[in-house]
Formats: sequence, C-alpha cells, structure tokens
Amino acid sequence: MKSIKRTIIIMLFAISANVTFAQSTLSAKQIQEKSIEVTRVEGMEAISKLTIINQNGQERIRQMAVVTKLFDNGNTEKKLIRFTSPADVKGIGFLTYDYNVKNDDKWIYMPALRKTRRIISSENAKSFMGSEFSYADMTLPNVDEYNYTLLGEEVIKGIPCYKLEIIPANDDVMDANGFSKKISFIGKADFVLRKNIYYDLFGDKEKVMDVESIVEVDKTNHKYKLKKMVMTNVQNNRKSISEIQQVKFNPEIPDEYFTTRFMER
Amino acid sequence: MEKLSKFTIRFRWPIIVFFIAVSLLVGSQIKNATMNPDMMTYLPDDMPSRINKQKIEEYFGGTEMIMLIVRSDDVINQTTLKRVKKFSRKISRIKGVDKVMSLFDLKYVRNEDGAIVVDPAVKKLPRNQEDIVEIKNDLKNNEMVYGNVVSEDFTTTAVIALLKPDVKDKIMVEKLEELIETIPGEEEVLIGGTPFSRMHTAHNTMSDMGRLLPLGLLLMLVFLFVCFRQFRGVWLPFVVVLMSIFVSMGIIPLLGWDITVVTIILPVLLIAVANDYGIHMFSKYQEDNIPGEMLTRKGLAKKMLLSMGKPILLAGLTTIVGLLCLQGHILIPAGQMGVLAAIGIAFALAASLLFIPAISSILPKTKPVFKDGNEQVKKSFIMNMLQNFASLVSKKPKTVIVASVVFTALISIGILKVIVNTDPVGYYEDGHPVKHSAEIINKNLGGFFPLSIVFKGDIKDPEILKTIDKVETEVSKIPEVGVTTSIAKVIRQMSRAVNNETEEGYNKIPDSYNAVAQYFELYAMSGDPEDFEKMVDFDFEHAMILIRLNQTSTPVMRKVIKQIEDITGRELNVEYMGGAADIFSELDINVVRGQFISLGLALAIVFFILLIIFRSVKGALISIVPLVLSMLFLFGLMGFLGVELNMTTALLSSIMIGVGIDYTIHFVWRLKEERKNGHSFEQASINSITTTGRGIVFNALSVIIGFSALMFSSFVPVKSFGFLVVVCIFACLFGALLLIPSICVISKPKFLEPTSNSKNQSS
Repeated sequence: MKSIKRTIIIMLFAISANVTFAQSTLSAKQIQEKSIEVTRVEGMEAISKLTIINQNGQERIRQMAVVTKLFDNGNTEKKLIRFTSPADVKGIGFLTYDYNVKNDDKWIYMPALRKTRRIISSENAKSFMGSEFSYADMTLPNVDEYNYTLLGEEVIKGIPCYKLEIIPANDDVMDANGFSKKISFIGKADFVLRKNIYYDLFGDKEKVMDVESIVEVDKTNHKYKLKKMVMTNVQNNRKSISEIQQVKFNPEIPDEYFTTRFMER
Repeated sequence: MEKLSKFTIRFRWPIIVFFIAVSLLVGSQIKNATMNPDMMTYLPDDMPSRINKQKIEEYFGGTEMIMLIVRSDDVINQTTLKRVKKFSRKISRIKGVDKVMSLFDLKYVRNEDGAIVVDPAVKKLPRNQEDIVEIKNDLKNNEMVYGNVVSEDFTTTAVIALLKPDVKDKIMVEKLEELIETIPGEEEVLIGGTPFSRMHTAHNTMSDMGRLLPLGLLLMLVFLFVCFRQFRGVWLPFVVVLMSIFVSMGIIPLLGWDITVVTIILPVLLIAVANDYGIHMFSKYQEDNIPGEMLTRKGLAKKMLLSMGKPILLAGLTTIVGLLCLQGHILIPAGQMGVLAAIGIAFALAASLLFIPAISSILPKTKPVFKDGNEQVKKSFIMNMLQNFASLVSKKPKTVIVASVVFTALISIGILKVIVNTDPVGYYEDGHPVKHSAEIINKNLGGFFPLSIVFKGDIKDPEILKTIDKVETEVSKIPEVGVTTSIAKVIRQMSRAVNNETEEGYNKIPDSYNAVAQYFELYAMSGDPEDFEKMVDFDFEHAMILIRLNQTSTPVMRKVIKQIEDITGRELNVEYMGGAADIFSELDINVVRGQFISLGLALAIVFFILLIIFRSVKGALISIVPLVLSMLFLFGLMGFLGVELNMTTALLSSIMIGVGIDYTIHFVWRLKEERKNGHSFEQASINSITTTGRGIVFNALSVIIGFSALMFSSFVPVKSFGFLVVVCIFACLFGALLLIPSICVISKPKFLEPTSNSKNQSS
C-alpha cells in the first residue's frame, strides 16, 4: 500500500511537474498567441484619452468613447471610436472591423460634412491619429507575420515576464509596421503585455512602450485591457499616452452599433 | 632704417630662429583646419534671411534633400521601376534619412466609388502594356507626384531623401554612390541636391588648394630663376613666401575659422604678392654685389635694408590696408580672407626686411651677376618696351592721356552689363555632375532651390486656408516656380478624396472650421501625419508654402522674390518669407554692397596714405588715377565678357587696390627723386620709366604669374578671378608707367617740385 501511495504521489508529482514543465516550454509563438488571446474581450464600452506630446512638450488631447465586440467566434473584433473632444472634431466616428487574416475594414464619419467614407488603404503602418502609437499597436497583430524567439525572463516593475524577440517575417511586413525588431515583455502569470521595445529599420532602438497599468475587464474569463500605455520615442523625444479612463465589460452590445448607419447618428 | 639695419645685423641669429620657429609652429596648425562648403553660413547669423531660415527650421524642421535621379527613354516599365523600388527601400534604410519620397513612398489619395482610397503612387510593377497605361494615368492624376518625383514626359524619376539635421554630406553621397553600384541597370542614375553640390565644393576646394599651391610655387620658382639666374635669388624669396603661407593658413584654425571657397585664393595671393618684397631686396643685393665693390656680406645686407626698406615698407603697408578693407565686406569669408592675407603679407614684409638681410649677413657672398649696372638688361624686350614708353610719354603725353581716358570710358560702358550672381551651381562648368543633375532637376522635377512663405494665424480657419491657397495658386503661375506644397493643397486633395466630382465640396477648401479640423483628422487616420510636418506646426499656428524654384541664378531669384512679395504684400496673415533662395538673394545684394564698401574704404584709406607720403592733395589724386581707371576697366570688362560678380570675383577690387597701388608708389617716389636731382619732368619721367620701371615690371610679372595659377582652378569664378587679376595688373602697370608720367609732364604738379631752388636745372 505504501508503495502504491508513493507511486501515486510520485506520479502526481510527475504530472504536476510535467504541467509546470509544459508551461515553461511554451514556444515563443505560443506565448504571443496567449498574450493576444487574453486581451480579446467579448464586448466592452470605454472612455479613453489619447495625449500626443511633441518634442517641445506641447500637447494635443483627444477624448473618445470606444465600444468593441467580438464576432465570428472571436475571429473578428469590431470597434467603434467616437470623438468627444475637442469641439472641432467632436462627433467624428471611426469604425473598424479587425479581421484575423485579411486587411481591416475602416470607415470614418465626419459630422461637419455629414459624410461617411470607407477608407481603403494598402498600408496602415505609420501612426495612429498622429500619435507615436502605430496603427498596428492599436489592433491585434497577425501572428503568422512574425518570427519569435524566447530570450529569457525578466522582471518588469515587480512582475516576472517572458522576454520575447519578435522579428517581421519579411521586408514587406517590416515596411508596413515600421520596425525591424520588437522585444516584448509578457507577464508569466497573466500573459498580459507589460512592455515593448521597438527597433527602427536601421536596427536602432526607437520607441519604448510602457504598460503602466492594466485592467481585468472580464473577470470570469480573465480578459484584460492595457489601461495606460506610454509610448516614448527615444530618437525624437516625442511621447504619446493612451489611457482608458472608464471601462465596462459588456458582451451584450447590440450588433447594430457596429454599422455606419449607427455611426452617423 | 639705420637703427633697424644695425639691429638686424646684431641679432641675426635670434631673428632667423624666430621666423623659422613661428612659421613652423603656426604652420603646424594647418592640419586642424576644417572646410565649410555651406555658402549660406557665409552671411552673419543676424542677417534677416538667416534668422528667418532658423525660425522656419524650428517650426517645420529641415528641408534639406538629396536625390537619386533615374533616367531612360521611358521609366514606366517593369525593370526600371523594380530598380527604383529597390533604391527607395535601400535609401530608407540609410541612417540620417528622415523620409523618402518616390513613386513607391508618396501616396495616391483619391475617391473611388464613394470610398477614400490611399495607395502608393505606383502600387504594383507593370506586367503588360495595359498596366503601363494605367500607371501613367494614375500618375497624371496625382498632382503630388506628377512633375515632382516623375517628369511629365516619364523620362525621369527621382528618389528624394529628406535628411535629418547634421548628416555628413560626404557619407550620404558615398552611400548613394554605393547603391548605384550594387543595384545595377541600364538607366542613367545621377545624384543631386544641395548636399551633393556642397560635397563637391568641399572636395574641389581642397583639391584646388592641393593643386594650385604647388603649381603657383613652381611658376614662381621658374620666374625667380629667370629673373635672378642665381640659386639664392630663388630660394630666399621662396622661403619667405612659404613662411607667410604657413603662418596665414595655420592661423585659420587658431582663430576658430574655417576654410571656404574664398580661401582658395589666399595661398595664390601670397605666392603672387609676398615675394615682391624679397625680390626687391635681392635685386638690390645683386645690384650692389658687383666685382668692383668691396662690401662685406654684412655690408651688403645692411645696404639693401637701408636703401629699399622705406619704399618696401610703404608698398607693404598699403597692400595690407587694402586687404584689411575687405573687413568692410559683410560676407564673413571675405573679411576673414582679408585679415588672413594681411597677416601673411605682414609676416612676409617683416621677413623680407629682417630675415633676408639676417640670412644674407651669414651666408657667403654670391657670385656677382652684373659686371656693371645696366649693361646686360639694355637689350632685353622689357627695356625696349620701357624705352618706347619713355619716348611716348615725353613726346605725346596728351595722346596718352586722351587715349587712356577714351579707352577706359569705352570699356566702362560694360559696367551697365555687369551681372551679380552668387549661383552656387554656377561655380561648376557645363557637364560637371553637380551642374548636370541640377539642370535635370530644374527642368524635369520641379526644381530644388527652396523658398518658404510662412503664414501665422489659426490655420484651421477656412479664411486663412483660402488665403494660403490663393497665394499658392498665384505663385505657381510664375514660370521660375517649380513645385509648391502647402497644407491648403493637402486639404484640397482630401476634399477630392471625400467628394466625387459632382459634389459641391470637391477640390475646395471647406467653408466651416470644423470641416477643416475633420479633414486633418481624416488625413491623420488615412495617410502619414508626418507629411504635415513641413507644412504646418504642431499647434496649427504657423503654416508654410514650400516653393521649389527651378532656377539657381540669384538675379532670377531676386526677381521671383520681388514678384512673390507683390503677391503676399496684400495678405495680412503672411508673416515672412525665407529659405535658401532668400539667403542667396540677400547674399547677392551684399556682394554688391560689400564690393562698394570695401572698394570705397580701400580707395579712401589709400588716398589718405598717399596724402601723408606726398604731403599733397594733387599728388595723392594723381597717384590714385590709375587705380580708379583700372577699376572702371575691370568692371567694364566683366560686363562685356559676361563674368559675373560673385563672392569670389567681389574680392578683386580690394586686392587690386592693395596690389596695384605699389606700382604707383614706387614710380612717383622715383619721379620725385629724379626731380630732386634736377631733371625736367620729361627727363625725370624717362629716367624713372627706364630704372624703377624695370623693377615695377618684374614686380607686376611676378604677381601675374602667381595669379595665373588660379586659371587652373576647378571653380569657374576662381578661374575668372585669375584671368581678371592678370588683365587688371596690366592695367595698373600701364597706368603707373604711362598715365602718371604723362599727367605729370603736362600738369607739372607742385608736389614734385624740388624743395630747394638751389638745384641746377637741366633740359
């Protein structure tokens, strides 16, 4: 009996060891996939603020209301951004369908002109609304476009993280996203991104994104959003801050919210 | 002079050591000298145009660009475009490149079936004829690229790199040259833009220095040998010249200055002028060193200082003063060059007066070359010429005066034709890569010489945008204006993307403030907001129309700027104009102003010195006449030959006064001596022409030979400068040897009267 017990204990140990072993041998790509997965929120409403600061410290602030919802079994994220301030751009709507595999669909509504227009752009790289964030930073990346290497582990602001090297698979991806290499720090426990370091096309460090705080939006499924992100361009000393000021988990947002008709209302 | 000569003989060793040590010490600094080829920095920092450019850079960043120009019969084909794409990608990977503009980087924004479509100007490589036709149609409809990065006839396309500040010209050009090699093809590929021409300017300046200096020295060695036929007569003045070059060049980094395009003239000027004093000293040495005379070497040394010291000192001082008058020139390198040359001449003067006698008192006497005085030279060509001069002056003085005045008056008509042009491309000859690529860019790709109009106000205000649009439209009508860009043009482009042709807002600045703001936001979402950086500042308080002129000639720029001022003068929101074109046109005005200031200053000071020397207003006036006529002759000739007045040729007049006055001083000095000895004006003139005249001719020849080295420069204005100096020295020479004696023979001025009447008069 004793030996059986011992065997069982050993087996249990072995299994648990195996589990931890399995966890630690997640491939770099799997870590990235998980990291994307934990930020896929079924549906939410938020109020957020984008602050753009130039090299002289001058600021430009945009406030917006955002709603997102997952469609097609989580393969498509639809997002509607509506500007709430400043006054001259208030009411601008920006609707995106972020597909997993194909190019995103985008529409803009300009209240001063009472016009909605689809935007078809073969490149969506450079900048998100004139900030240091790229459009790619604000949407979910296509995992297969990059090669991943696990460089090790590092503690970022007290949180143990995986350290991943992410390199575009080809020149086109590199050009489209504007970096030659990205180092990502992803929390070991929650798989939430904590920090990115971007290297420009010359291989020089260009931008650092610090995730200053996160918020668990969906507590049952452990889904997170990056609450406050600070992107600092170390080459030109410009800085942009994206901050979610209020957020509410809501998987029940009506589908009609994500139509151009609704955007024009 | 007596005291000085005693001092020199006594302290001969310390003097020798001092001169050699100072030359080597200061000369060793030459290695620290740096080259500044950026002509825009030649104006003082506080000039309005420099301040404006600085302000523009603060708001909108740098506008410097370098470009690869690809040419073939038709560039819209698969192979060529593939090559262009590779170029564009590789250039974007070069460090220091801020932004690339090419067929693959610039966008084609349009409205297609109600959607805003944003694509690269060329989004795919053509596979067949239809693709080619389609691409060409797209390009024709895209005003952001047509006539800008691709020529309207599709024979030329450019990959333009906007550079970050402080990028080294040479490194950038080398990288582009490397690209042309590593991405080979049938097409002709050229490099263009300001960094390219600056690199060539720097390179040519340095190679000019390296070439003209030895050439000038060689010419001088030959000349000295022909003159003196004695080894010491060659190396002694030569060493003095070398020392003065060492000192004046070595002082450049010590003063914190840079070598510039203007500095090329410095060593050649020193070769030409600094040896004069040595030549006079040694020719006196030879004159005294005749078999009959039993002077010791110390005695010979003393004698040359005693008899030549004063006129040499005077001639040297006037030259130095003339050169220092370049300080009145607002162009920084012109003033610096004046100071450097003055220092070099002063050092050569001191060395000729101290170092040469000191050396001569130590070395054994040379073999005498003259058996007695003038016997040998009497048969020479120069002596024949001088004797002809002498008889002309004594027999037909009126004819000489009338002929000179009429001739000068005729030539001076050309002054009306003198063109001021500081065109930086004009420094190169036809066919030079810099000129060639500049011509192609100007003809096919909308030009490259930038000029900005800056607006101030709330840029999102439709009224201001409409003003910008109106000004831009009117400015574009000026034929010398190539491509223009502005925020108004972008807004109109957005309006065409949002609206289709039938809609009211199509190709228009919208009427409401919010609509403008929303267009900007739209652009931020669909395009690259960095595109705005060169058009409007962060706070939307300043906007700029960036104009590229398709001409580099500064008179044309001045004309265009005036036309633009007429357009903008009515608009309240226009703050100022600025940019490279503005600086060069200010450079232009200042070349003329600097020319007249330094010229007037030099004439006034030289007149004053002459007044002191001769103690007579009339004397000073007569002495200055040849100079004034030479100046008229010089500018008239420039007008007739189409030689432009620019930064280099503007130095001519001051240098001419400094150098040309020497002949007058020497001549009038001798004339006075001859009168003192009781000769009539006619006889005194004949005597002066045939004695001192010879020295003056040698002196002038050495200057001419020295400066002729400049004709081998790789810069067109420097070549012209060399030519003009040669012509001008001749003018000064004839002025001193023909005109002055003729005037004196006729007017019999009092200052030349012997002071005591006891001298006997001979006919």
